[in-house]
Order: sequence, then structure tokens, then C-alpha cells
Amino acid sequence: MTTATPLWEFVDISKAYPGVLANDKVRIKLLPGSIHGLLGENGCGKSTMIKTLSGVQQPDSGQILHNGQPVTISDPQVARDHGIATVFQEFSIVPTLSVGENIFLGNMPRSRFGVIDWAKVHSEAARVLAEMDVDVSPDAITGTLSVGEQQLVEIAKAVAMDARMIILDEPTAALGEDEIERLHQLLRNMRSRGTSILYVSHRLDEVERIVDEVTILRGGKVVRASGETEINVSEIISAMVGEDIGEHYPKEQNATAEVVMEAHGLATASGVTDASFALHRGEVLGLGGVLGSGRTEIARALFGTDELSAGQLILNGKPVRFRREMDAIRAGLALVPENRKYDGLFFNFRASGNITAASLGGLSRLGVLNLKAEEQATHDLIRDLEISTQAEEKTVNFLSGGNQQKIVIARWLFSDSDILILDEPTQGIDIGAKIAVYKLINKLTRAGKSIILISSDHDELLAMSDRIAIVQHGAITRTVEASDLTHDDLVRASADTTETNLEEVFA
Amino acid sequence: MKRIFDTQLIGPFAAMVIVALIVALTTERFLNPGNLSNLSLQVSIVALIAIGSTMVIFTAGIDLSSGSMVALLTMILAQMLKFMGIPLMLALPMILIVGGLLGLFIGLITAYGRIPSFITTLAALIAFRGLALTFNNGSPIFSLDPALEPIFYGKLAGIPLPFFYLVFFYGLAAFVMNFTKLGREIYAVGGNPAAAVLTGINVRKVQTTTFVIAGFMTAVGAILMSARLNSGSPNYGQTLELQAIAAAVVGGASLAGGRGNILATLMGAMTIVIVQNGLNLNAAPSSVQNIVLGLIILLAVGIDMWRAEISALMGRIFGRSSSGSAQKVKKGA
Repeated sequence: MTTATPLWEFVDISKAYPGVLANDKVRIKLLPGSIHGLLGENGCGKSTMIKTLSGVQQPDSGQILHNGQPVTISDPQVARDHGIATVFQEFSIVPTLSVGENIFLGNMPRSRFGVIDWAKVHSEAARVLAEMDVDVSPDAITGTLSVGEQQLVEIAKAVAMDARMIILDEPTAALGEDEIERLHQLLRNMRSRGTSILYVSHRLDEVERIVDEVTILRGGKVVRASGETEINVSEIISAMVGEDIGEHYPKEQNATAEVVMEAHGLATASGVTDASFALHRGEVLGLGGVLGSGRTEIARALFGTDELSAGQLILNGKPVRFRREMDAIRAGLALVPENRKYDGLFFNFRASGNITAASLGGLSRLGVLNLKAEEQATHDLIRDLEISTQAEEKTVNFLSGGNQQKIVIARWLFSDSDILILDEPTQGIDIGAKIAVYKLINKLTRAGKSIILISSDHDELLAMSDRIAIVQHGAITRTVEASDLTHDDLVRASADTTETNLEEVFA
Repeated sequence: MKRIFDTQLIGPFAAMVIVALIVALTTERFLNPGNLSNLSLQVSIVALIAIGSTMVIFTAGIDLSSGSMVALLTMILAQMLKFMGIPLMLALPMILIVGGLLGLFIGLITAYGRIPSFITTLAALIAFRGLALTFNNGSPIFSLDPALEPIFYGKLAGIPLPFFYLVFFYGLAAFVMNFTKLGREIYAVGGNPAAAVLTGINVRKVQTTTFVIAGFMTAVGAILMSARLNSGSPNYGQTLELQAIAAAVVGGASLAGGRGNILATLMGAMTIVIVQNGLNLNAAPSSVQNIVLGLIILLAVGIDMWRAEISALMGRIFGRSSSGSAQKVKKGA
């Protein structure tokens, strides 16, 4: 690493939106061969900064220096020409195209006659994927891949264009532990080749592991500049939030001895092979395992989305069979899906419509809704869960990820479900909102609700679960007290597998 | 009440008023009482059918079948009255039921057969027209029943009856969309079908129900069509389905589903009919009328899509930033 001229220097970048100064004289220096963390709570101006750097929008004032020379990044193409690649949080891949086509989208290798050189698309894509150590065929249709693999394809696009500077916005939000490790290895390789990397993440544990320097934003301003802050999680958090937030994982013990749900040897065509467990009243049962181990599929089996091919589900001592989601919801189950954007929220509704969506029957008499009761309940939940009061008047697409997630959970609070399956409930939301979700989990278990928690954040899973069921290849191999496990145990236990097994699963 | 008369109504209402002002200023006879009551007659059939079309659009579906279904239903009604001796008071409810059943049929194939509504209703558009031709060797049937015409031409307190049909059915539709479980479910299914399934909403049942409503409202339109001309014909209702969809779109309904206001569809239908009326009064040929109708649809959707840019432009011209642009930019932040 050199301390010579920064590759990129952003000087006093300001950007105002009506009513908000999103960036206020932000300065960032990016050195070649360095991973630079850009941190801050949602709404601190990170996204605005990223948009400016990638040419999506223009700053109101400030200067951008490339190797010391002032430049203007007037549009995304100019950014690409300068060797800046941006991997946005929202995927920009086309799900119906092949992996190779996505990697070279907009930049297809052509033969002499201007026709796309498919052999080259294939071989170059294969080379990039091999370099990244990603085991995906260039010919696979991208939409059929797992979310984690799609994320890697997204990153492969940046690698393929030989970017000198890569902006990664929450690159690991959808990745499992081993995929994160693979990505980090890839980033280290790129760093050693002199690439400058701007890394935005909410997962502070991984920031600690990989980042060389940090810049922390709060309210559009830089509160800690490059090199000023030791890379230490608790210090970063207090700089980001601007106050001492207290306990990061405020776990309460509310589990009782009473069993509310039992699963015996569940199996589905979608990949659950043998899932057995017992869930107690007031308990948080964590499902641990790598991405693709079958955790989400177990959730789908419990919720009636996927039909059981074997096994028995027992609810409050009685055998039940859910043929569809409606049956599970009537029986008191709730699912907060992994992907709240696509499967959870109604963006055409305000908070009220989203909160009552699962309880319209109870809220209506002879088909007529009790709108007064709806407004009142929404008002109370917004207050109790500290959701932005904007949610009362505006449709939920205007809200932050944390507020959106609280609204999805509020839906099941309102429907008074007894068993909640939370699939990655804190994915992509900031620390403050995460803690709010943890408090919500406490509130639920205190009220005698039971929770099945799926999370790829191992620290969170260990801290918030009472017991953890280890999932491998669609089977629950064992269930242990969370307090008996360490982070390393969990990583090893969930990854503990033989080569042949792996091949069977991914065949 | 705040919910029904929300901001989604302001645009379509303003468009209607502006169009009416332009026509009124350029055309002397437009504001004659005779012409105004004629307007409610003209708009009634398409506006009533558009209630169903709009609800289908709210679920992110499309109904192309209504025009042909009108022809088929007028032929069935004519057959009943003229050749089967069924009394009018019995034939009318039967037509409404047949319309509902045809809608149910389309809805079941669409929702449970998992065929896109564009395809099922396109098939129905073609097949119903053919089916209409199988009656009376494909010839129109005239002079059905003297009691039929007053249904369309009758007046109450000097106001044409179709005006009251519009008030009744749009009142009912606005109530359903804003105050009932069904209305909420329709918006939910259109807004995010995957989330609707996960919240326990019976998506297929909701989709089917909107087609039943569409079939029923098409039958109402068919009865008015028969009453207006005291006849049934396999040629009635050509492109009526497109006019109904145009009314919904001019009223601001999103073809992607989940967004729109049912009362705005009435405004959309009125806007279209006022323009047609103005052109009629100025003796414009039908070719010009169609070109203008096409432009109106484009303009209505265009203004909606470019709202932020237009208000930003206005702000620049008049030297102040307007709230419309502020919202758009914040959304992108």
C-alpha cells in the first residue's frame, strides 16, 4: 500500500434534495490497493454519495479528482470509462439471460462482423468465474440461481470490466458465511492487484475483518474521516449512531416448557429431507446453516407453501396438514419472508393496508372493513414499534428498510399469530433498526409467541436464539442450546460436510 | 370520505374540467341542456362497463372480452324477447346472470387455469363475437319490446335515467373499493400477488370475482345498448372493450395493477365523451375523432408519467420549486 496520490479523491461533495442536505461537503480519499469502508445509518447519505460517484447524479458542488486531475462523471458510462464499477444493492442482472450474457451485458464481445462472439462470451465468462472461484456455469439462466449466486454474478460483471475502482453497496446482504468468505478472498486478491474498493455494509463484524480504512457519515456529514478511526466495532457504532446504544443484542429469556409445535421427519420435493424439532412457547428457535442448506425450504414446508411428501406436523398436540398458506395462517402461523421487497410488502398501500392485510376477515363485518379500527390499530403499532409516522400518510415505498421490516412484522402482531417464522429479518437494515427488531422479538416471546429465526448473521442467531437447530442438506442434524455454541462451532457445524454430499446437493 | 376523494382524483377531474372548458368555449351548443343530458346518455354504456374493466385492471389483469360480450348478450336478450316469449322482467335478470356466468367462466380459466387474462379475454373477444353470429343466422333482431326503450331514454325529474344508473353503480363500486374486504384484496392482489399469497389472501378467488363483476357490468351495458336501439345485433359493441380500458387509463389506473381510483374511471370516460361530443358538434369526421381519441390516451398517460418533469419545468418557468418535483426526487434518494 502506498501513501502516494490517491486514485480518486472526492473533495467537499455536496448534494441537496428539496428539504434535505443529503451530502454536506463530504471528502473521501481512495487509495489504490485499499478497501475503504463507507459506513453510516440508513439515511446518512451513503446512497447519495454512491450515486454521485457512479455518475447516476451530479453533485451540487465539490470536486472529483482522478489521479490528481479534476474530472466530471457526467453519466454512468463515463464512470465505466474511468474504470469505476458499481455493484448496487438492488440487482441489475436480467434474470432471463444466461450468466455469461449478464456478465457482458452492454459490453458484449463482438467478432469482426459486429456479431456477438458467443464463444468468447462463454470463455471469458468462464475465466472470470474461475478467477473468482465461483462454481456456476456461464450458460446457466441467472434467474434459476440462488440469491447468493446472483450476487456473485453481479460482482463478476465488475471483475470482467477490469475496474480500477469498485463500489460495493451491501454486497453480502444475501450471502451465506462461506460465500462471504469467498467474496472477501476475492476482494483481497483485487486489492493486492491495486484495485481501490469502496465497501458499504451493515455487517460490522465483516467490516472489521476486511476493511483498511473507514469513513463514517452521519446526517450527510463526515463524522470520522479516513484513517481517523480505529477499526473497532463498538467505536464505529457509537460514531455512526452518535450516542451509546447500549447492548447490541438485548436478548430476553422467555422460553417455557410447553411445546406448541412439533415436526417429525418433514420432507418436501423442494429439498427438505428430514426436519424434526419441537418448538416451545416463548422460545426463539434458530435455524443455523449455510445459504442453500434448506432453511428457507423448511420455512416454506411449515407454512404450507410446499407440500409435504413425508412427515407430520403437530400443532398444540393435534396433527395438522396445511395445503396452502391460508391454512397455516388460520392455524396461527406467520411468515416474514426473506425478501420483504418482493414477497412481503404492498408498495401501493400505506402502513395501515400493509399491517391489516393478513387480518381483513377479522377486521370486517359482512365484508365491510372497520376503517376506524384499522387507523387506530395502525396508529398504536406505529407508536409502539417506533415506526416513522410518515407511514400513516405515505405509501411504504417511501420508508427506510428498517421501517418496512417493522411494518411486515407488525402485520403478524396485529393478526395475533402464535408462531412467527422470521426469515432474515434484519437483512439490509441499519443497526438501530436491527436492535428494534430484536426488541420486537423479545416483545413477542414475552407475550407467549414462539419464533423460528432464520439468519445468516451468526452472531445475531447465537445471541437471539434460545436453541439452534443445525440444518444441512435439508435435514436438521441436531438441536443444541445456543449458549453452548460459539461462532466458530456454528460455522463449523453448518459447514461440516463431505465432498460427495455436496455434489449430490448441487447436482 | 377522505379515502374516496383522494389525490388520485384531482388529476383526472382537472383534465375533465379543462377539456369541458375548451369544448364549451369553442362550441356554442355544448352547454345546451339538451346536449348535456345527451352526454350522460353517451357516456353511460362505456362508463358502466368500465367499472368491471377497471377492477380487473386493479388486479393487474385486463379484460378484452366486454365488447363482444355486449353483442352476444344483446342477441341472447333479443332471442328471449322476440322468439322465446320470455317477459322483459324475467329476461333482464337472466341477462345479468348470464353476463356474470360468462365472467365467472373467464375468471376461472384465468385464475385457476393460470392463463394470462390477456389471452383468455382475447380468446373470448373472438369467440363471443362468433357465438353472437350463431343467433338468427347472424342477422340483427329489431323491435324487441316497447317497454325496453324507456330503460335508456326514460327520465326522472327531467334527468335521463342512465345518469341515475351511473350514480348508483359508481357509488356502489366506490364503496366496494374503499370500504370492503373485497376492495382491499383487489388492490393487494394487484399490488403484490406474492405478498398477497403469503398473507393468506385467496388470490385466485379475488381475480375470479373481478371477472364476475366485469361480466355483470357488461350485461348492464348490453341491456342499455339493446334498450337504446330496441334491438340486438352481433355487430354491437365493437371496440367497446378498448374504450372502457381507455377510460380506466385516462382516469389514471395503472395497468401494472394496485393503483387507481374507480371514480377516476368515470372522469376518464367523461373526458373522452366530451371530446367526442365537441368534435361531433363541430361536424368532425369519425376519422378525426379516432385520431384525437388516440392522442388523448397518450397525453393522459404521458402527463401522469411525466408529472415530476412537468412540474419541475413549471417551477423553472414560474421561478419556484413545486411540491410535485420534490416528491419525485425524494423517492429517488
